[in-house]
Amino acid sequence: MSEVKVVNLTKKFGRFTALDGIDFSFPAGKVTCLLGPSGCGKTTLLRIISGLETPTEGKVFFGDKDVTGLPPRKRNIGMVFQYPVVYRGISVRKNIELPLLKRGLSETERRERVDRVLSLMNLKDYAELDSSQLDNVARQKVSVARAVAYQPDIILFDEPMTNIDANSKIQFKHAFKELTRQLNQVIVYVTHDQTEAMTLADQIALMKDGKIVQCNDPRTLYNVPEDVFGGWFLGNPGMNFVKERCEKKGSTYIIVSRLLKRPLKIDAPKMDAEVTLGIRPEHIWLSDVPGSDAVEAMVKDKTLTIGGQYLYTLEVGGEKIKVKVGHHFGRAIGNTKVWVELPLRHLVIFDGSERRIHGDLSLQ
Amino acid sequence: MDASSAMGPGDAGFLTRFREKFLFLENPKYLQHLLLVPVLIFFIVWNVIPLLWLVGLSFYKYVLVTGEPLKFIGLTNFKEIFGSFEIWHALSNTFFFVIIGTLSQTVLGIILGFLFWDSKDLPGRRFALTLIFTPMILAPLATGSFFKLIYDPVFGIVNYFLKSIAGVTIDFLGSTAWALPSVLIVDTWMWTPFMMMMTLAALGSVPKAELEAAEVENLSWYRRLVHVVLPHGKFILMLGILLRTIDAFKSMDIIFTMTGGGPGNATELIGITLYRQAFNAFTMGKASALAIIALLIAISFTSIYLYILQKKEESM
Repeated sequence: MSEVKVVNLTKKFGRFTALDGIDFSFPAGKVTCLLGPSGCGKTTLLRIISGLETPTEGKVFFGDKDVTGLPPRKRNIGMVFQYPVVYRGISVRKNIELPLLKRGLSETERRERVDRVLSLMNLKDYAELDSSQLDNVARQKVSVARAVAYQPDIILFDEPMTNIDANSKIQFKHAFKELTRQLNQVIVYVTHDQTEAMTLADQIALMKDGKIVQCNDPRTLYNVPEDVFGGWFLGNPGMNFVKERCEKKGSTYIIVSRLLKRPLKIDAPKMDAEVTLGIRPEHIWLSDVPGSDAVEAMVKDKTLTIGGQYLYTLEVGGEKIKVKVGHHFGRAIGNTKVWVELPLRHLVIFDGSERRIHGDLSLQ
Repeated sequence: MDASSAMGPGDAGFLTRFREKFLFLENPKYLQHLLLVPVLIFFIVWNVIPLLWLVGLSFYKYVLVTGEPLKFIGLTNFKEIFGSFEIWHALSNTFFFVIIGTLSQTVLGIILGFLFWDSKDLPGRRFALTLIFTPMILAPLATGSFFKLIYDPVFGIVNYFLKSIAGVTIDFLGSTAWALPSVLIVDTWMWTPFMMMMTLAALGSVPKAELEAAEVENLSWYRRLVHVVLPHGKFILMLGILLRTIDAFKSMDIIFTMTGGGPGNATELIGITLYRQAFNAFTMGKASALAIIALLIAISFTSIYLYILQKKEESM
């Protein structure tokens, strides 16, 4: 199966624009996560791909085939919903077999396929149970197994872990990873949970206000966001942003920042007068002794966060920034005066319209 | 939190004492029972006592108009009822009316319900629904009266069309062959909207995701019905059928206005017989006995439905 492509996709609900002219293609054999806050249009995009929603404008292609006008049942897709769907009154095995019935398979072939997905999703012990006896994780696993068993060209996941309790999520994630490793279909996974996206996706398409802001592998997306939004939305807490002025000196641009000891030189063809410096809290170097390139900062707050890390709120030149450091170091460091240094390879510069500026950075 | 603080220091002592007296109410066990009391009083006064009275009365000979004192006659009333051809006939009419009426209302209601399912964007939906639901909110007496005119062999619109198309006139309410079916049609006209409403409610209780999954997975309409729609909607639907059955069983007003149970006893239902026994003949004892029989039949209907529902629930 080749890619899924959407062209100039727009969807309006009354006066609200849910999708705003999206052009994108989803590659086969990869898990693409649509990530974004509530109301950004990610579920709408998924539902338009499935055919459950029709676009106001634009087209959907499966390979070279225009499927925009086709109903869901004719698109040969599999879909897993937020609400775990099991068909009532029948066993798990029969549940998975149900969509296979209309596909002209022999009984032995059907049995084989069902057995294969049952072991793939670790559901063998549940096979003969009635679907109403299952808990939510098992139900969701059944609906995944069912969507996979009839071998659709595309498998869509619409926040499948919403109704699963925290402990079982790990189990479900594990099954999902195991499964997607063996599939070479187009897989689209919608979520608002960045941890989920980071752990499950091969690539993440970050969405905001009906548009795809950036699409990269999770690591790139996290480390070098192309947009202020990406830096803010990802990470817990998100990036530190500091607005600074940028001046032209000869052929290069210079930024004098309160966070940097020396002026920052940037090799870029054109710069706005006001730029934003961004850096992730865990990328800032923190020290309790002065360093050559470090600036002095005051500790305003210090809290213990997930994984035993310490989160510091510092004040540097009137700006508040957040810094994350490891457990031992964080505990050892004092509560008043510290020194911070921003490593250039983690520093991201955004222009006046909040897009990333590509250019080499160096200190003068 | 503390009402006494707003009342000034003088009132505080009184309020505290007042509160202490009713502290036992904070125990949920007492409170639950106390809250039940008003309903229980109504239930006992209006249901339990009359029912017991009814049972008692059924063993007596009690004629309102003769002024004779009550006379205990044991099971004579029941014997008379079971020996009476008229009452057996009324019962068989009633069963016909209940079964055919409920069945046709259910079938039509389900069809209409499915037609209106998921029709939120349909233009004129509200208007159509209002029109469809109108019969249900009319008074049965009014419905009976104007259907009597509609069916009228001389002035009626049905016969006007019949005559101009087929050249015949049928006295719908005046012939023994046509009267019961004609009455059934009116009842169906009146109560189909109710079953449609129940169908819509039942369909509304089906989770959207399950329907969408069935669509995506290309299940046949039959499997969608059996594995998606019915498991969620059957309870509401069965409740509708149950209500219709009980209601049809005791219906009399609409028929009474149209035919008065006639011609002969062609449309005589148990409800009408009961009315006659009680308020034409004033034989209260016999009427009570008949009412008890009717009640027992209604209860057995209900039990059958509940049994079916429960059985289905267990097998699910």
